[in-house]
Amino acid sequence: MKTLIKIKPKEYKVGDVVKVDFMAMHPMETGMRKNKDTGEIIPANYIDEVKFMFNDQLITKMIIWESLSVNPLMSISFKVSGAGTLKVIAKDNKGQSVESSEQITPKG
Amino acid sequence: MERRSFLKGFGVVAACTALIPQIANAAEEAKKVVGPNEMNYDSAVAAITGGKPVTPSAKVAISAPEIAENGAVVPVKVTVESPMTNKDYVKAIHVLASKNGNVRCANIYLTPANGEAYFGTRVKLGGTQDVVAIAEMSDGTFLSAKQNVKVTIGGCG
Repeated sequence: MKTLIKIKPKEYKVGDVVKVDFMAMHPMETGMRKNKDTGEIIPANYIDEVKFMFNDQLITKMIIWESLSVNPLMSISFKVSGAGTLKVIAKDNKGQSVESSEQITPKG
Repeated sequence: MERRSFLKGFGVVAACTALIPQIANAAEEAKKVVGPNEMNYDSAVAAITGGKPVTPSAKVAISAPEIAENGAVVPVKVTVESPMTNKDYVKAIHVLASKNGNVRCANIYLTPANGEAYFGTRVKLGGTQDVVAIAEMSDGTFLSAKQNVKVTIGGCG
């Protein structure tokens, strides 16, 4: 599972509220679609839990379902409290999980 | 002797056939248990609020297109007006699509560290329907907002 974390804007100070965009490359199968060639139902496979941590402190936890689009984008706000590591842990309903992180380096 | 072993064999077969429908039933049941996903809209809301009333409020702003040509990717943004302090903050934002196979899209549990109650995503919509955002405030009240989205091409399947 490939992931992408983007912080907007690129430059920020301590106390600023920034937007954190997290995107995961995931098929997000609903379990309702059929394989067009064989007619078999494609089993559900979707990300069901995403956690945003800053310096190992939980900021936001998400429980999500298959209604999110393919390669889901999840965007939250985050108040920069200092320098550190922003970690995002995503887990899908088949138990596959991925951890990605981004350094938070406020200027000024 | 032959007769006895035949009877034994028959017994085993009979026991097996008796079991099979039960296993099939269990499989059916398991499929139904996927079921929290197959809640209807009202019971999904009740599961979120625990029966408490939900008040439509201007504090909750939901932004989604009025007409979506492609239901597979519909951008949805929710912001809730709140100071986001330790005493007064938005506990959770719930996003629902009222007529999808699974009406629940996402539950986002926020903390004061978010600084702002905001959630943005992209959802699949099976057809024309309301996208609903329910905000759970730290004082235990539930506020909501909704946006009708007309879908030209459904996003499921």
